[in-house]
Amino acid sequence: MVDPTSGLATLLQVIVTFLRLSLFSLGGGNTLLAEYHHLAVDKYHWITNTQFADLYALAEAAPGPSSMIVGLLGLGAGWHHGPMWGLISGFSAEVAILLPSTVVMVMAALSWNKLKDEPVRVAFEKGLGPVTLGILFSVGLTVLRTADHHWLAYLVSVLVCALMLFTRISPLYFMLVAGVLGGLGIIQR
Amino acid sequence: MTQEQELSRPPERQALFRGMLQVALSSFGGGMSAWSQRIVVEQRRWMSNESFITGLTVARLFPGPNQINMAVYIGAQFQRLAGAIAAVSGILLVPFSLLMLIGVIYFQFHAIPAVDRVLTGVVAAAAGMALSMGFKILNVYWRDPLALLLAAVTFVALEVFHVHLIAVVLSIGPVAMLLYWPRGAQRG
Repeated sequence: MVDPTSGLATLLQVIVTFLRLSLFSLGGGNTLLAEYHHLAVDKYHWITNTQFADLYALAEAAPGPSSMIVGLLGLGAGWHHGPMWGLISGFSAEVAILLPSTVVMVMAALSWNKLKDEPVRVAFEKGLGPVTLGILFSVGLTVLRTADHHWLAYLVSVLVCALMLFTRISPLYFMLVAGVLGGLGIIQR
Repeated sequence: MTQEQELSRPPERQALFRGMLQVALSSFGGGMSAWSQRIVVEQRRWMSNESFITGLTVARLFPGPNQINMAVYIGAQFQRLAGAIAAVSGILLVPFSLLMLIGVIYFQFHAIPAVDRVLTGVVAAAAGMALSMGFKILNVYWRDPLALLLAAVTFVALEVFHVHLIAVVLSIGPVAMLLYWPRGAQRG
């Protein structure tokens, strides 16, 4: 048996957790954010609530696919056992969340055009959209509750949400401005 | 819109890797599919806008991050499995290494008050981005009461009754597919 407090046990926990979720990442993977929060903060105590909010913001701001937050969660989980375990765990987490869905996507990319007029394809396309919509609203609320505890922070979030919907300004500028406001002590947790 | 331009030669694996790396590094702060379109369709002219949009639809439909799935689609179009691997490596390797570095710096220094204050602001902005995701696709379903009902049931199951996400997808998903099954279609 593996010692449940060891780095190896944490690594296995990370890999199993994300492998299991991979095929349920509908709507581009953002639908899993609330589940990540539940697992990483409440269930396994890999990171704190505040750290989750921070890691989400870092993953959004950095270049590359936004779903890379999983790598950061893995890093946080392994970090308790030292930086090396953190890096191994972060890398494994990203591979675990991507591998199953990517294998399915490879098969889909190689065969999708043959399914062109099949009813199952039509039903799949139209039916899963509304489910994704419902999940995304739930995810939005979860991230909001995790990130903001002060009315001014809520105001900033709602303002950014509106700007995202009604302008085409890069979100990077919103993060920059909000970061400066935070640094000056104007926005508090 | 510009005239449909002639396509260039199908890219080799190395070109796929470099092209997807360029997409990843251009997308500081989001907007990756827009960059992907600009680079793959307009600059490198690997595929027509039409086949790009088809790929994007398939990428969004299947589980997994849209941008990764799109890289798989683009790579597989030209070099089958090897192309998919090259394209995914291109879009992922450098950004992921960078993010891990950022993560290590974060866990080393986030307890410093000044760093924490700046992050507080950035986090509030990022939460606004998360909140906008649902609203962004709401207009697609606005005139479809059935879709709104399904979305509402999903939302209530998750938020009010705290049903597990996997259970929600496996129960409401098939029901939604049945309700949207094309009328008069033969089975199989």
